[in-house]
Order: sequence, then C-alpha cells, then structure tokens
Amino acid sequence: MLAATCLGQTPASPPAQTAPQPAPGPLNRSVIVLDAAHGGVDGGSRIGDSTLEKDVTLALAFRLRSLLAARGFTVVMTRENDAALRPGAPGTALTLDDRAGIANHARAAACLLLHATGTGQGVHLYSSELDAVPAEAAVLPWLTAQAAWVAQSAQLEAGLGAALKRAGVPLVSSRASVRPVDSMTCPAIVVELAPEDDDRAGINDTDYQQRVAEAIAGALVFWSRQVQPPPRLPSDRAAAAGAQP
Amino acid sequence: MIYKHQRIVFWCLVGCILLMATLLFLERQRGRERILSIATQMPMDAVAASTEPVTLDLANDADGSISGQQRQMALPVDSNARARALLDQLVAEYALPGSAHPLPQGSAVAEVFLLPLPVVGYTVNPAAPPLEDGSPATSPVASATPGPGPVNPGGELAVIDLRSSFVNQHPAGVEVESLTLLSIVGTLHANLPQIEQVRFLVDGQPRETLAGHADLLRTYPSRDTATPPAAQH
Repeated sequence: MLAATCLGQTPASPPAQTAPQPAPGPLNRSVIVLDAAHGGVDGGSRIGDSTLEKDVTLALAFRLRSLLAARGFTVVMTRENDAALRPGAPGTALTLDDRAGIANHARAAACLLLHATGTGQGVHLYSSELDAVPAEAAVLPWLTAQAAWVAQSAQLEAGLGAALKRAGVPLVSSRASVRPVDSMTCPAIVVELAPEDDDRAGINDTDYQQRVAEAIAGALVFWSRQVQPPPRLPSDRAAAAGAQP
Repeated sequence: MIYKHQRIVFWCLVGCILLMATLLFLERQRGRERILSIATQMPMDAVAASTEPVTLDLANDADGSISGQQRQMALPVDSNARARALLDQLVAEYALPGSAHPLPQGSAVAEVFLLPLPVVGYTVNPAAPPLEDGSPATSPVASATPGPGPVNPGGELAVIDLRSSFVNQHPAGVEVESLTLLSIVGTLHANLPQIEQVRFLVDGQPRETLAGHADLLRTYPSRDTATPPAAQH
C-alpha cells in the first residue's frame, strides 16, 4: 500500500530541465557618458551666422554634467575642451571609434551623444536603426555592437522624450544611423538640440538649454534605477570549461 | 609675238593647275568617304527610348518625411547604369530651386556597382589550368567576416561610390544626412527590387560619415523608406 502510495506520488515524467539563463553583463548604474560631438577642427554644422555645432554641444554637456553630478552620477565626458584629443596622446585627435571605446569601457547606464542643428525645433532624439538581438554575444562585431542594447536604448529614448515633453520642449523622436552609436554597448541616444522656435540664435539661450538639461537629468535619475542590461552569452571557451565535469 | 619659252611656261602652269585640281578632287573624295564611314557608325537619330515610370523617394526637411513620387524617365538597359541614372535624377531634383531637401548641384554619384550576394573574393588557383588567354585560373573565396546572404535568389549588393565634391558640400545634421541616405536606399528599392543591401563609398574609399553624422560604414538594408512625417510631439 505504501509502495503504491509512493508510486502514485511519483511524477509520470521527469521535470523539464530549463537551460540556465545567461547572466546580464556588468553595468555601472551611477555612470553616464556624455559625448559632446565634434570639436577642434571639426566644427560640425553651422547654426546661424556665428554659431558652430561643436560649441553648442560642449555647452550643453557642461550643463548636463553639473546637473548629473549634483544628482550623484559619475559623468564621463569624451571631451572637455574645444579640441577632442585622445587621452595619453597629446595632439592626436579623438576618432569616432575612440569615443565609442570610452563609452564602452565605462559600462554606463546611459550614453548620450550630444549634437546640435539649426533645422527644426526643440530636441531631436535618435536611437540606433539596427535590428535588436536578445542577448549580447561574448565577442561583438564593432559596427553592430549596439544591436543587443537596442531595446534598452528605445526605452531610454521614450523616457527622455516623456521628460522633455513634460518640460514643454518640442520633441522629435526617431531612429537613425549616426556614427558611432552602432558601436556602443550601452543604452545610447543621440540628443540633437535645435532652436526652440524659428530664431536660430535661440539655440544659445541659457534658459532653454538649462530647461532641456534639467529634463534630461531628471529622466536619467529614474532611468538609472530601472535599466536592465541585456543577458550576456558566455564565450565558447567559458561554455566549454563549464561543461567539463 | 609669243616666245617659245613663254609657251612652255604657260603649258607647264596649265598642267600644274590641272594636276592640283585632280589632287584636290581626290583628297576631297577621300575625306568625304572617311566622314561617311564614321557617320555610319553613329546613330543618325536619337535613340527612340521609351520612357517608363519610376518612383523617386523624395525627402522633405520640413517634416522629416520621405514620400514616393512618380516620374517618367528613359532608363538604360544595364542595371548598373539604371541605378546610376536613377540616383542622378534624384540628386538633380534636390538641386532644383525650391527643393524640400536642398542639396548642392553637380554630379553626386561617380559609379554604382551591383554585386551578387553573398559577396565573395577570388584567389589564384594554382591547381587549375590557366585560362585561354594565359591568365591564371581563380576560384571564389568567401569573406573572413561574411555578411548576410541574399534573402531571395539573385539578391544584389549595391555599392554606391559618391563623389567627394558632393559629400563635402552636403548640409550637416543628423536628419538632413539621414534623409539623403534613406532617399537613395528607398529609390533603389522601389525601382531595382533585386538590390537587397546598399553600401557607400566616397571617391572609392570607405568614409565614416556623410557630413559628420550619418553612418556611411554601415550596410543599409534595401527597403521602402517612404515614411510619414517624424513623430513630433
């Protein structure tokens, strides 16, 4: 009888073995990367008669850095002067790949590429056009490394967009292939600042820039708490070592 | 009284005149035949190429949209030449006064190459006998970092070689640069459906960006890029 009871409690089939989920990669929730685009001889686009894009992006980056530092973030900037120079190599200009490398080493919660334009109004947000992949491979192709982070970037874009909307800033949200976003392994967004109205000189308005920066900084505080990095697949060597008894 | 030597001189002159006239006539005939032989190699009339409807994906900077618009064009038969003619027409429309996406005038595209997918290279095959012309035989070699293969049989990669004179004068900005690239991709997709991927070169060399923003190193999937105006809130 006991045996029958025990037999009756025996499951008819063994429980299905679920494959272990790959662990997410490292992420520094308190680190934000600000890439003030252009710099040095690369002035970027000309906005109005006397404003260069490189000057607007650097000014916005400084505003954002102050606000983010006040909120407890560690801010990594790809350039802090007019010229973008490679660290440890004076006189050598920073390439777009160098900027992506700086961002990738930081393993930041968000990477913002700051641009400026004289066309359109308000803030234009762009995330990568790559097709999303569900997990981050151990070895990533440089030109499509962002693919595993596309979902996170889209969430960040939505968060920033909502904050800017609340701040009353005209907003355009879209996707575009902008170098070097596709090479970044972090939630990466291109933030392109345009004048608030038809007056192009208004892009230098300190109140306008401050309003934009405060909206972005506030959204990043919320974002840093909720961001989840994509799962990272083990390398073939690590998988082989783990399979050995 | 006419002296004998004067008569001799006179008839010599007459003979020379006749000889020169004959030579001139022969040279004229020879030149005429030469011109006629060249002329027969050229079409006497313009080729009566019938126009066909094409779709140009035209961008609009004001609202960030791309819309497909029909045009009538006479296109060459060769696919490479068709692709180039389409892009020349596209850029010419953008150079017109009052364009919604103004671009600099002039030729933008140096050449368009259509390559069958997947892209392979060729290496000398020493084991195979040489070809009829004496050159060594080759065999295809896959790329060390193979890209995506064709979605459909016969799928092609379009490599568009832009002129630096066009790229260096292109307006800078994320949106304006993206619209140019997407407009090119969409126009090729609408008229040459065998093109599945698009890559860009500038003067035959890879270049990072169009004018500091839009990615020129990426392989763009050929697709319909006609879009409604960008989401503006």
